[in-house]
Amino acid sequence: MDINLNDLLRRYRSHPFEDYHVETEHTGKISFKVKEGQEVRGPGGKWGQRPGTLLYLLERERNVKKIHATWNGQIAELKREKEGRFVEAGEVILAIRHRLGKEEIMDRILTRVLHIFPAPQRARYLLIPELAQKLEKTSEKGVFIEPGDESLIMSLMKRDTLISYDGPPGVIYKVYFQSGAIVEQGDPLLGICPPDKLRYVQKVIQRIRTEWEE
Amino acid sequence: MKKHRILIANRGEIAIRIMRAIRELGLEYVVVYTREDENSLHVAMAMDSGFPYKAAYRISNYKDPNEIFSVADEAECTAIHPGYGFFSENFRFARRAALRSRPVVFIGPRWEVIRDLGSKINTKRLAKQLGVPVIPGSDAPIYSEMEAEALADELFYLQREQGIQHPSVLVKASAGGGGMGIEEVNHLDAFRRVYRRIQNYAKRQFGDEGVLIEQCLTDYQHLEVQLLGSSHGEVVHFSTRNCTIQSTGRQKRLEVAPGFDPEHFEYPFDAGAVLDKMVEYSVRLASHVGYDNVGTWEWVVTRDGRPYLLEVNTRIQVENEVSACISRVAGSSEPINLIKEQIRVGLGDKIGYSQKDISFEGTSIEMRIVAEDTRRGFVPWCGTITRFEFPDTPWARLYTHVPGNRPYKIPTEYDPNLALAIIWGKDTPEAKERAREFLMKANIEGRDAQGGEILINLDYLYERIEDVLRF
Amino acid sequence: MLTDQEHMADSGKLLAQFVDRISYLMDIKGGGEWGNLEELLQRVQQLRQSVFDFPESRLFEEIGRIEDRLSFLEDRVAEALSPAEIVNIVRSIQRFTLMDILENVYDSFAELGGEGDCNVDPAVVAARATISRRVKNKVFSHQVMVIGHEKGRGEEYRNGGSAKPWGNDKALRYMKVAETEGIPIHFYIFTPGSFPIEDFPGAAQQIARNIYAMAKLKVPMVSFISEGGSGGAEAVGLSDIRLMASRGYYSVISPEGAAAIEGKIREGERVPRELVDHCARQLKMTAADNLRLGTIDRIVEEPPLGARREDYGFFKRLRYEMIRATDEVILKTKSLRAFRAYALKRQAEEQKGVPDEFHVSISWNLDELEVERLLELRSRKYRQMGVGFFRDQKKSFLPVLGRARELASKGYYDVRYGLLRAHQKNVQKVIEEVSGESSVFLRKMAEPVKAAYDFVFPQPNKPSRPVRAEVLEKKSIFMEDWEGWVPPLANEDRTVTCPNAKKKGCQDLWVPDLYGEFCGVCPSCGHHFPLEYQWYLNNLFDKDSVREFNEHIASGNPLGFDGFEPRLKRDIRRTGRRSSMITFDAKVQGIMVVVAMLFSNFRNGTVGTAEGEKFVRACDRARTTRRPLLAYVHTTGGIRIHEGTLGVVQMPKCTLAVREYIDSGGFYIVVYDNNSYAGPVASFLGCSPYQFAIRSSRIGFAGPRVIRETTGEDVPPDYQSAKNALGRGHIQGIWDRRNFRKNLFEAFIRMGGPNLYYR
Repeated sequence: MDINLNDLLRRYRSHPFEDYHVETEHTGKISFKVKEGQEVRGPGGKWGQRPGTLLYLLERERNVKKIHATWNGQIAELKREKEGRFVEAGEVILAIRHRLGKEEIMDRILTRVLHIFPAPQRARYLLIPELAQKLEKTSEKGVFIEPGDESLIMSLMKRDTLISYDGPPGVIYKVYFQSGAIVEQGDPLLGICPPDKLRYVQKVIQRIRTEWEE
Repeated sequence: MKKHRILIANRGEIAIRIMRAIRELGLEYVVVYTREDENSLHVAMAMDSGFPYKAAYRISNYKDPNEIFSVADEAECTAIHPGYGFFSENFRFARRAALRSRPVVFIGPRWEVIRDLGSKINTKRLAKQLGVPVIPGSDAPIYSEMEAEALADELFYLQREQGIQHPSVLVKASAGGGGMGIEEVNHLDAFRRVYRRIQNYAKRQFGDEGVLIEQCLTDYQHLEVQLLGSSHGEVVHFSTRNCTIQSTGRQKRLEVAPGFDPEHFEYPFDAGAVLDKMVEYSVRLASHVGYDNVGTWEWVVTRDGRPYLLEVNTRIQVENEVSACISRVAGSSEPINLIKEQIRVGLGDKIGYSQKDISFEGTSIEMRIVAEDTRRGFVPWCGTITRFEFPDTPWARLYTHVPGNRPYKIPTEYDPNLALAIIWGKDTPEAKERAREFLMKANIEGRDAQGGEILINLDYLYERIEDVLRF
Repeated sequence: MLTDQEHMADSGKLLAQFVDRISYLMDIKGGGEWGNLEELLQRVQQLRQSVFDFPESRLFEEIGRIEDRLSFLEDRVAEALSPAEIVNIVRSIQRFTLMDILENVYDSFAELGGEGDCNVDPAVVAARATISRRVKNKVFSHQVMVIGHEKGRGEEYRNGGSAKPWGNDKALRYMKVAETEGIPIHFYIFTPGSFPIEDFPGAAQQIARNIYAMAKLKVPMVSFISEGGSGGAEAVGLSDIRLMASRGYYSVISPEGAAAIEGKIREGERVPRELVDHCARQLKMTAADNLRLGTIDRIVEEPPLGARREDYGFFKRLRYEMIRATDEVILKTKSLRAFRAYALKRQAEEQKGVPDEFHVSISWNLDELEVERLLELRSRKYRQMGVGFFRDQKKSFLPVLGRARELASKGYYDVRYGLLRAHQKNVQKVIEEVSGESSVFLRKMAEPVKAAYDFVFPQPNKPSRPVRAEVLEKKSIFMEDWEGWVPPLANEDRTVTCPNAKKKGCQDLWVPDLYGEFCGVCPSCGHHFPLEYQWYLNNLFDKDSVREFNEHIASGNPLGFDGFEPRLKRDIRRTGRRSSMITFDAKVQGIMVVVAMLFSNFRNGTVGTAEGEKFVRACDRARTTRRPLLAYVHTTGGIRIHEGTLGVVQMPKCTLAVREYIDSGGFYIVVYDNNSYAGPVASFLGCSPYQFAIRSSRIGFAGPRVIRETTGEDVPPDYQSAKNALGRGHIQGIWDRRNFRKNLFEAFIRMGGPNLYYR
């Protein structure tokens, strides 16, 4: 499963962006606080405790909610015509064109190198608490997983089902989902690096590190 | 009646039933839906409704009251129908609807009634006052171990008095519900330990260490009385129904009205007298609290013919039409539509007829058609339905939100109920026969993500029809 | 005759001294612009480089000119030292430190608990030392414990004399050693403030423990203040005589800190120098100011521009002053007449400068009776502080009557003591019943109050229509910029968002539900929204049992702080109250208690002289009526900076009063709510053996911004949460507001127990 790293890097270099679409989280009256093309920043502070740039206000039942940017980037596709209007839930009202950083590029390329454990169903997923704890403690990627290990909880139709890992044994390199969020069927949940591939993965990382300039 | 515009704060088949009822009453509606439900029938129907205004709004969550009120204001709705589940028995929602600066009619009982009857403990206390029988036990949370033990002792004694072979007592967290924090005790010696365990659990889980204790009933049937009241002081009933057949987790699957059928079955007690008694008790309680909408009084009847009031459901229920199906008002040959009646009284109308105008005819059976694995603990099945066909006959009605003309992916966020089928027969044997026939002719196909065949509970229902109304 | 070489070396030394003197002036003036100091410095530097290029005469001519210029400038600076410049003197790296004192004032010393950077906390130094005096050419030595801050000469490990919590703990440990050994303690305060970190034992909690211990420490204590930075100064500051360096400062807050608050300067922005100067003046932080306010006892004169490391004359004076002060403390406990005679003699001898000899030597040992007297004098001294600086708004005839009534009630309770015994027995019985699990009783008492709240808000009134939804901003130095949002308790048709909504998915809450039935608690995550203090008055105590006292004691503006008066007036008008402290008698399920409550709406619950006095009187009232004392902290923003050190001394004053209440047998419990910070937590609140917090409240020493600015580290968002305070052992438990009444009752029964109405 070799990849053409040069091609990939070239492609990312020509378009090092990811557009994150911002949807209204609920109904209400919207008023924008940013302009098309404006640079915004995501949450800051060591713990992400400082909210990002104020994007818009959403007022519902006389509660004016401030919605902040969750990514660094540039405002695009702003739906100016919605200003002052009532919006429904889940309307896409703007996009943040986010310039990918080195780490993000690495994550994206690694999905092609690692063994990906995909979501078997469209459902909400959670890591089992023990695993979540382990991952939290070992900041370096060092949690080993074997086929048959119960690793995830799939929450579907109000029922929780334990899901066992069924790929090759290896180290959990990457968790791709947010705990408790809905994941579409087939989307990656975990990225696992089998021991025999470790060298290769490290080589890939090393190359991206040296060749990618921010 | 003022031209009301009613927001339907619900989904699935009940939303559709309410939409039809509103249409028949000549009123307007607005529906809400979530992204998962975008392909549901209720949304398509609302979009094609032909109303000269936007009749469907996407919201983030059916359970967020702020979304409902926000849309109600935006869409200029004057009333909200909560359906069942969601906000139907939420007195705070009803209270907010009534007290907010732009009030909206909540189609349901007054919020005070919802609050007072929503508390099982309070209902029990009230029932005791009015001489309505309830399961022996505490009618207030207990915080003292000695008091609890004394009560448990008494309950064991009472059961032995009644000649019960294996007496037992239930200990449950008063703040709990839905089967959480309940344990059975078979002997007084074991009581203290269980009590402490539940108390600790309650304290941890709910922050309130109050515990309830009651006699544990083992051999009983589950019956309901369907009532309708209005704000003008009227109360009528629409007979009883029997909901004893349930899947694991106490999910109803088959309901039948009336509650017992002494003509075709043997009962170890005078079934007719028991039914009359239950109805009389239910009306007594409803009149006392000034009950002003549709409601269900839930009962258990033990093998020795004792009815005990369990709780009151202050909402329209899924199975309301089983009762409606056998009810005729003032000689009409058509069954009554309880949802229409509910909306009418909810918006302030009088019922306009009395108990003597209501007669009952035949037997009705409701079957809940659910995509689930009946052999493996009723685990829900999810996938895409490609064919969803049922026989079209005058004696059966089908309620579903599954579109018949295109494949439908079952949303994973909600209950996997697909349809309700209501069968009527002139007597119980005929109703049972027709129900079987209906199931035989059903034609459902679907595939899950792995290509597996749809799992549906038709066979289960077919088998269980035989058990209906049998004690 | 000196050789040329020697001459040159000499001039080199002179020039080096010039550099020091010029940079010292630059320190004071905050830069080289004033008086062309920068230029002068460059001239001296050039001269130093080219010493050998000049003929000797020209060199000395030039040196003479510089000397003239420099002396002229020094005189000019000394003539009109502003308070801000005094602060600069204190902060100058050339100022004397504790180590200089140990070496020059004391004969010999042994440092305890660490050495240099190998130390628990190098910012705090403790040493056993001997100090000696000459009497008629004979030398007498005294053993003392020296405890103080060491600022060092810019070594990072000294942390500028900012004590870590464990540094203050070390100080306390050696105070106790001194007590055991019966030797006096000399405190030296050289701190800009305590290091504001919460790690165990916690900045605030440890200071509180120190003050609590010092209040009744059984040895004479004398303190000397050079840099008295608020709470940090108090941690080693409570003493029988307080001396202060004439060029020192003693303040409630740094002038920069005050300027940032007063000028509402955003974090990271520069504070204008004029504003800092202005605030320094307003804060009344100089020695003369403090003497006038009664927060210190005497001033130790320094040279006009302040004492530096080589000012040996100053050290001689300091030695003399420390001995004299200690003598006086000792003598006062023995005989007032002997003390007066001694003081007169000293004054007479001081006319001719610092005396070389004492006329007597006095033993620094005290017997038991004298210790008792020492403590009594200390108590009197501190109780007197700040008196006369608050406003008493009782009508003219009322004080007499009030005083008479107080006396009468004291007599009444003394007489009733017998009766109280009976009451105490009743309580005892109640407790026995609890343990006996009598069911009737238990049900009555142990059922959660939750049910009761349904009766409080049985039917919500129709909510009012808000004019227009608006985002309310309320800024406090203890809040982060982005979280300064406090919803008002209101019955309005609108919703608010739970701060945990993002993390825990809480739905927006309808205000009438939230502030009615939910008691201000988010039903899904348990977050406690702040409630107005009236809610507690109405829901915590038995119906109609609240009886306020001392309402007539009113906050004022004792320092004449510019622009403060209108703000004070506005708060008085808005709240209908005259201070941020409400003291009252009340009942909790039948248990009689005395309550002291700090609430947010009045100057953010800050403590000044009026609040301190009311607290002290509440302690005394609890003592005379033999009732438990509850301090409920709705919010406190610390010591009111507008009252300067008058506010700071409320820390020892109140702690002393509450300690006397506890020592005499009282039961003292503290409950924190919302935000409790700084001085009060670091003294009379933090010293309680029983401290609890309402969920979602925050308890700490300094706000996140101050911590960031002091430590240079970012502060985790939950750094001062009740949960972390519990984890660090600062509090004993977290209470849910909905169970507040029940928990309070249980606390009284379980912890007060048979001693609830006095041991």
